[in-house]
Amino acid sequence: MLACSHCGYKNRVGSLFCEDCGRNLLAGAGSTPVTPTRRLMDAPEETSARATWGPARIGSNTSIVLQVRDAPQPITLNPGQRMILGRSDPQSTVQPDVDMNPYGAVEKGVSRQHAILEFNEDTLMLLDAGSANGTFLNGQRLPPNQPRVVRDGDEVRLGKLVAYLYFK
Amino acid sequence: MNIHFDPYSILGISRNANADDIKRAHRRLAQRLHPDTNPHHPGAGEQFQDITLARDLLLDPDMRRQYDDEANRRQSGGDLYFTLRVTPSRRAVLQLPEEQIIYLLAEISASPGASDTPKQETRLNLTLVLDHSNSMKGQRMERVKGAAVRLIDDMRPGDILSVIAFNDRATVIIPATTIDDKARLKARVSVISPAGGTEIYQGLRAGYDEAKKYLGPRMINHMILLTDGHTYGDQDNCLELAKTAAGEGIAISAMGLGHDWNDDFLDRLASSTGGSSLFINSAEVVMRFFREHVKALSNAFAERMFLSVAPDPDVHLEMAFQLSPNPQPLVIDDGRIPLASLQPNRAIAILLQFQLPAGMNDGFRTVARLVGGGDILHNQQQAFRAVSDVSLEVTEKPAREEPPPAIMDALSKLTLYRLQERARDAVDRGDVQEATRRLENLATRLLEMGEDNLAQQTMSEAKYIAQTQALSDRGRKTIKYQTRALMDSGGLQAALSSLLTAPPDSQS
Repeated sequence: MLACSHCGYKNRVGSLFCEDCGRNLLAGAGSTPVTPTRRLMDAPEETSARATWGPARIGSNTSIVLQVRDAPQPITLNPGQRMILGRSDPQSTVQPDVDMNPYGAVEKGVSRQHAILEFNEDTLMLLDAGSANGTFLNGQRLPPNQPRVVRDGDEVRLGKLVAYLYFK
Repeated sequence: MNIHFDPYSILGISRNANADDIKRAHRRLAQRLHPDTNPHHPGAGEQFQDITLARDLLLDPDMRRQYDDEANRRQSGGDLYFTLRVTPSRRAVLQLPEEQIIYLLAEISASPGASDTPKQETRLNLTLVLDHSNSMKGQRMERVKGAAVRLIDDMRPGDILSVIAFNDRATVIIPATTIDDKARLKARVSVISPAGGTEIYQGLRAGYDEAKKYLGPRMINHMILLTDGHTYGDQDNCLELAKTAAGEGIAISAMGLGHDWNDDFLDRLASSTGGSSLFINSAEVVMRFFREHVKALSNAFAERMFLSVAPDPDVHLEMAFQLSPNPQPLVIDDGRIPLASLQPNRAIAILLQFQLPAGMNDGFRTVARLVGGGDILHNQQQAFRAVSDVSLEVTEKPAREEPPPAIMDALSKLTLYRLQERARDAVDRGDVQEATRRLENLATRLLEMGEDNLAQQTMSEAKYIAQTQALSDRGRKTIKYQTRALMDSGGLQAALSSLLTAPPDSQS
């Protein structure tokens, strides 16, 4: 199958234009191709949820730290209203606010727009942005576009990329 | 022996092939085309008969000598021919455990120099079937009559004309007759006056009876149906009659005037005979259509053209679309697609879409056998066929190849036509949301192509369905025939397109 990079419709191999939205399926293929998100063969499925007990509330001067496992340096997030976690791609129209490319995003199956962190009054919410390989909060797979509250010390997994969120 | 094809090319062997070669070639083809192994493709059965006939002829030394002599004589006599060229969207495909698509572009063109060769005596056998129901009242009727009168002026001595006027019954205004006394014929046309409803079958039937009177091998037999209304309850009869007519070498072109007629029905009626269908917004254009259409017809190089498609048993033909001369979807029911006339300077181009099976074996394999056929009007021996066997390579690592530009270009526009079709389907199902989404997609694509006007109309139609749950009669036809015309910049519908956006003529 040949997924349309625009609307995601699955066309049969050999199709030249998307059956659904009519776009050229080969556009850009000659120059710099859009790197499709690798669909992981052994994508982790749901594992049992692990409760964490860190505080959920964050103050106005709390900063958020994202520690990718095995990465030397944590990422400090500027508390904007809404942050897209994903993988930058020159061909894509929307670029993520937090780029996971330095952490092996392609190999680990991170989508261009994978997950979104959002502030909601005094809590931080995580939601899956319809990613190919799923967003997991403490081992539990999130249904797309449904926000969940994140607590201090939670484990966030984007595909196979594991990270921890700390409030400081 | 009256054999109307080249048995060597049908079997794909050389002129010096011996009996073993002939039998081997036949056996190989029979495996693909035998009706028992290929029950889903009626086209294969017909082609199977041809290869068997070719084998029998070549295995009989007397008949083979006779054919060779005949062929040599014809070749030195300067017989004309046409060619069938087939271009696939890819020459090598990946070996995959799933189904794949391949496109073939089939082009039939007349031999070079066809237009300079003096013609054998060929004559036009033209039948006009004109709607004179009440809705034609006023300017419309007058314009159509004016166009018919002008047409009589354009016809050559020796051509045959018949004119039928129909509403809920048919009147033979001019029975099939040789054009001689033009003034008398014109006077007859001028008495047509509007009354009654629309029953297309009545008119078509009477027209068919007239057309049959002069049916002959040197004739270009063509009916032009002009209507401005819906016909009720007799559509199946019409389609049945069209099939019969096509079988006898009569093509039907259909012209819808205004917005209140059934385009799906007229499209099908015309394409099942190889004729074309056209949307005409204003009666002013009727004359132009008549004249250009008749000019093209009398200029024909070959008549009763067809394309026979026999996919291999595991391959499925999904779609056939004529790109040129008149872009329109083709009816593929029985694998033998009627195409009517071939012009000397204008190829017939057809895009075919096939589904290849999952899990094909490595190596070269055949996909389909295409046969283009028809009667070349210039030749003494008219019937002629051109064969193309399409094969491709299945491999684990196909070389990178760009699809041929002609296919990309045709498909980019055909995709728009299909978006339009899907939007219509969605509206008919009552799925307004889906229809709106399709139309919005279509408008976006049209904008990208610089078709701003049509994009605008498409957008306003999207708004219209949101309010009324239906497409407007006008928008429905405009979007359909204009997306179709995009494929054919030099064609008649394209020329008429600019006029489609003009306001429709008044009814009285």
